[in-house]
Amino acid sequence: MIGQLTRTERQIALVILICVAAFGLAIAAAGKDDPIGAHGWLIMVLCIFGVFGVISGYFAPEPSEERLDSYYDEPSRVGIVLSMAWAALGLFVGDWVAWLMVDPALTFDAAWASYGRLRPVHTTAVIFGFGGNALIATSFYVMQRTSRARLPDQLSPLFVLLGYNLFCLLAVSGYLLGITQSKEYAEPEWYADLWLVIVWVTYFVVYLRTLARRKEPHIYVANWYYMAFILVVAMLHIVNNLSVPVSFGSAKSYSLFSGVQDAMTQWWYGHNAVAFFLTAGFLGMLYYFLPKRAGRPLFSYRLSIISFWGITFLYMWAGSHHLHYTALPQWVQTLGMTFSVMLLVPSWASAANALLTLNGAWHRVRDDATLRFMMVAAVFYGLSTFEGSFMAIRPVNALSHYTDWTVGHVHAGALGWVAMITFGSIYAIVPWLWKRERMHSDRLVEVHFWLALAGTIIYVIAMWNSGIIQGLMWRTYSTSGTLAYSFVDSLIAMKPYYIARAIGGLLFLIGGLVGCYNIWMTIRTAPRGVSEPSIAIPEAPLAVIPGRPGAAPQSAE
Amino acid sequence: MFGFHYKLERKAISFTLAIIFVASIGGLVEIAPLFTIQQTVEEAPDMRVYTPLELAGRNIYVREGCYACHSQMIRTLRDEVERYGPYSLAVESKYDHPMLWGSKRTGPDLARVGGKYSDDWHLAHMINPRDLVPQSIMPDYARLLRTQLRTDDLGRHLKAMRAVGVPYTDEMIANAAADAKGQATPDDPAAEGVTKRYGEATNVRAFDGRPDQLTEMDAMIAYLQILGRLTDAAYKTAAAPGR
Amino acid sequence: MSVEQRDPHSGYLTTGHEWNGITELNTPVPRPVYVFLILTVVFSVVYWVLMPAWPLGSSFTKGLLGADDRAALARSIQQATATRSAWTDQIAGKSFAEIEADPRLMADVRRAGHTLFGDNCSVCHGRDARGGKGFPNLTTSSWLWGGSPEAIAETIRVGINAPHADSRVSQMPAFGRDGILKRDEMENVVAYVLSLSKPPALGDKVAAERITAGKAVFAANCVACHGAEAKGNPELGAPDLTDAHWIHGNDENSIYADVWGGLKGQMPGWEGRLTPIERKILVLYLIDLRSKRP
Ligand code: HEC
Ligand code: HEC
Ligand code: HEC
Ligand code: HEM
Ligand code: HEM
Ligand SMILES: [Ca+2]
Ligand SMILES: [Ca+2]
Ligand SMILES: [Cu+2]
Repeated sequence: MIGQLTRTERQIALVILICVAAFGLAIAAAGKDDPIGAHGWLIMVLCIFGVFGVISGYFAPEPSEERLDSYYDEPSRVGIVLSMAWAALGLFVGDWVAWLMVDPALTFDAAWASYGRLRPVHTTAVIFGFGGNALIATSFYVMQRTSRARLPDQLSPLFVLLGYNLFCLLAVSGYLLGITQSKEYAEPEWYADLWLVIVWVTYFVVYLRTLARRKEPHIYVANWYYMAFILVVAMLHIVNNLSVPVSFGSAKSYSLFSGVQDAMTQWWYGHNAVAFFLTAGFLGMLYYFLPKRAGRPLFSYRLSIISFWGITFLYMWAGSHHLHYTALPQWVQTLGMTFSVMLLVPSWASAANALLTLNGAWHRVRDDATLRFMMVAAVFYGLSTFEGSFMAIRPVNALSHYTDWTVGHVHAGALGWVAMITFGSIYAIVPWLWKRERMHSDRLVEVHFWLALAGTIIYVIAMWNSGIIQGLMWRTYSTSGTLAYSFVDSLIAMKPYYIARAIGGLLFLIGGLVGCYNIWMTIRTAPRGVSEPSIAIPEAPLAVIPGRPGAAPQSAE
Repeated sequence: MFGFHYKLERKAISFTLAIIFVASIGGLVEIAPLFTIQQTVEEAPDMRVYTPLELAGRNIYVREGCYACHSQMIRTLRDEVERYGPYSLAVESKYDHPMLWGSKRTGPDLARVGGKYSDDWHLAHMINPRDLVPQSIMPDYARLLRTQLRTDDLGRHLKAMRAVGVPYTDEMIANAAADAKGQATPDDPAAEGVTKRYGEATNVRAFDGRPDQLTEMDAMIAYLQILGRLTDAAYKTAAAPGR
Repeated sequence: MSVEQRDPHSGYLTTGHEWNGITELNTPVPRPVYVFLILTVVFSVVYWVLMPAWPLGSSFTKGLLGADDRAALARSIQQATATRSAWTDQIAGKSFAEIEADPRLMADVRRAGHTLFGDNCSVCHGRDARGGKGFPNLTTSSWLWGGSPEAIAETIRVGINAPHADSRVSQMPAFGRDGILKRDEMENVVAYVLSLSKPPALGDKVAAERITAGKAVFAANCVACHGAEAKGNPELGAPDLTDAHWIHGNDENSIYADVWGGLKGQMPGWEGRLTPIERKILVLYLIDLRSKRP
């Protein structure tokens, strides 16, 4: 990594690392009686390792000027590896949490391993660790290629990536230590939140600087989505995390808003974390890797415009569908519900745009598990957005809210859409990034695909069943007109579904591990060779041959 | 429209501004009025703030992630009101920074659990839920009983709460640590200060059954026993069923 | 630079741009997209007109239907109460004996009671009401405060050692902790109490001596509450120590612990939480359970 930095960049890296280490030390000192102290030490130790890393490579020869003729892919390579590592962790903890709902004794009597602390570890590790790293890695890759411009410098993209992973690490280790703000998907405490602001602003600046240098006059639709993802996540993050810390030496803070305003802000954030992290970002991925892998032109430019602006505008209104029938005023619920219904149209439009792009390439979908991952992802995207709009209708939500149905919906989106499109894109990008002819084993990609699909289907169907049964049991009236079941009755009825879900999750986890192995072996042992048509930055656009074969690496057979 | 876009998508800065503009509208229209429309939060003159001990318990509730399984929001639906009690009012979480309404009911709603069970029951339940409810899948929290409650920084906690708008007085802040101890030690002289500052109805008891020690369990149970009882406003609504 | 081309598969033109080999077709937006967009917008607009929807500074549009969740809920509860009154009025008006004799009403009691008990009482008394350590079995004929329906109703209303103003109050002193009895006195009285429900093995001299000594201790310290026969006293909530039902366990250690540390069981009062009818249903539900398990 260091070898790719210029001398000045190495110096700046040292300065940054030393500053952050000093900051860590300050926290460690101020918070020696508080859990934050542990984080201070963690930050400091990591930065000191970083300092040694930079120093050990400090006198290596500087990169030649020729580097500027090709794309800068080191951050993407690191990002993909980190993404898969987080996937393994997040899926493992997810399945652990699932088994905990079958047998609560699986915590080994340790404070850190109790359900309430592990659950956010799962959600953060998969969404921010796995998803976020994949988004950052692919966004750098896609932006350079669709702009025909190299990233502006060597250091800032690495800063974004590693700084972001520091945030994820603080988040996840914090929950285990009992540090959390309790706001779903925004649980990290104030100092981690502030750090993310710095990282995220840098990310945005890197993006803008690269776009400013682009040789393509038009910005490709994948970049619209990546940009929306970066911008809106910044807005959401800053507003929802406004809070007053107890002191500099305390991990604890109190959020600025309370009660009903806090609830609305939280779900404005929470819903749009779904929209701009789990949807917009991954649509960016889809819009690059799917047409690329299929070797087909995107079905419709105009449809892209409609769905992009529809999603960007409408999603921001829909958050209140998480608060139907609560103490939130009814007028806000009305807006949340109606905008969620309208939202279905642009959502389906983007799913359709993806699937129609495959017209003329369905034989590839049949033969190529990587492309099939992406195709299935688009289908699940359509499915979960339909389900979402349906669940946003107030009377439906009256049944589904608080139940496992929500969890089923989440994982239709998370496993079927987010994870599938990510795995598909990663299988496409790995040979390109590491200059391999192809993946180590196409067979194993196929195995992963079927494990992932089976796992998702079992998971989602189990949760639909349990959720709807739960919802119905809570509101069923006996012939006497009184509630028919007590809460514990419903708890007992959930058992078989929780077991099924945990088994489905296990399949999905095994699939993920197979993927890790396959990627590792590709990096380690696959024959070198060029699988991507352009590595150097071309002066002029590539010749346009719609449906050009060879855009995707073909399996050997 | 497509022609306009054809131009827009060539300008990175304009495109950025367009995204920011389009994405800001929804939040502004839905969130800002919640601060200006009076009816949003009901009036409840009897609403009181959390005592330092209850606040400490609330922080443990947050730390342990109880909200991952328990909601604290009874919706305006007949079955919820009949099962859990009067629906939750906005004013009831007026001092909740942040709110803990929750989004999943793996366990029952806790908005009105205050006073529903005895301290002993909570103690036994937290030590091992399955001793009392064999089918329970709730984790056990026996270690709260083994951990002494940290009180030296409670004053600063109240101060931070005051900074975000909760009306703690200087006296409350100055006595935070003593009040925490007093609330869980009925025989201690400090106990009087608690009822003086927070009202006669405040629970002053040895919540964990050990008056000689101030444990995290004291704080946790003190918090659970106050849920839904900071104000009576909800019991005066028309839908409080037959009560 | 931008060269439009025709996609041989779909027949549409591309936009003429190319990004690292990716092109886009200029396919017009499919008609159904507009149709659905218009449909959902129309639906939304109608909904906004009918329902509370848009903020207006310090107020909001109320909608033509005047809908309000809270009012609607109040109505639906009223309606439900009215429908239920077909049988709840009889529960309220009739005596316990009359209701017990009416199988139709008892069927209602069982249905409603199951859930009421499950959501409010079962965490302490168990789903089958058979109690657990520290919590009495409610299906026996042995009652702390008397087993008549009226006594049970009162216990449920006010609770035991509860914050309720009329709460039943009961407490057994801590004979060991408070230094009232010495260790061997306590051991003896425990032996005596045990012997009341489990006759000791014949010919065990030591045991017989302790029981005799314990009987004296009992007479001096315990009869005030548990009675000379140790049959308990429902006025004080003191349990019968001669039967097979034990709240806190009937092995030597448990009983020793009871005597050493004293007891003060707590049960919340339900007056503020359950309606009189709900409480009456619970009493009947318990009586019904008891009648099934003599
Ligand atoms: C894995 C999910 C889970 C977690 C985490 C959890 N609970 Fe529970 N809780 C349950 C379930 C299931 C029940 C119902 C069964 C029972 O009573 O144990 C329950 C019941 C309860 C009850 C009784 C409610 C009633 O009305 O019967 C209380 C009080 C409670 N939990 C408090 C807590 C607190 C405090 C925490 C955190 C320190 C917590 N719970 C964490 C699942 C959970
Ligand atoms: C917090 C735990 C708890 C809950 C909840 C609870 N009880 Fe109890 N209940 C007790 C305890 C403890 C006792 C015994 C008190 C004693 O030992 O002195 C008791 C005693 C009783 C008695 C008196 C038994 C006797 O022998 O006289 C009745 C009747 C009763 N409970 C009914 C109910 C009903 C009905 C409910 C639900 C509406 C309920 N209980 C809920 C803890 C509870
Ligand atoms: C002031 C009244 C009082 C006196 C004196 C008293 N008891 Fe009790 N005893 C009670 C009450 C009330 C209970 C039930 C407490 C509860 O369950 O909460 C009880 C319960 C018990 C139990 C537990 C019964 C069970 O079902 O588990 C035992 C054993 C017992 N007493 C033995 C004794 C002995 C032996 C003495 C004398 C040394 C004694 N008691 C003196 C009031 C008294
Ligand atoms: C049109 C698009 C969508 C709409 C209208 C929508 C709507 C909803 C609704 C109504 C809920 C339940 C809220 C509740 O009752 O608490 C929900 C929950 C959720 N949805 Fe979606 N959804 C959409 C798409 C997606 C997608 C694509 C994902 C991707 C993973 C996703 C992830 C989630 C998550 C994580 C939650 C759970 C939030 C929580 O309670 O923690 N949604 N969504
Ligand atoms: C091995 C696969 C997985 C398993 C077994 C699993 C299991 C679980 C479990 C048990 C829960 C808690 C549900 C509850 O509270 O009842 C959960 C929540 C959640 N998971 Fe997963 N998960 C998996 C993969 C994923 C992935 C890949 C993502 C995202 C990319 C994800 C996102 C979430 C989210 C957002 C929630 C919170 C839902 C809510 O609050 O409603 N999960 N998961
Ligand atoms: Ca945060
Ligand atoms: Ca949730
Ligand atoms: Cu949502």
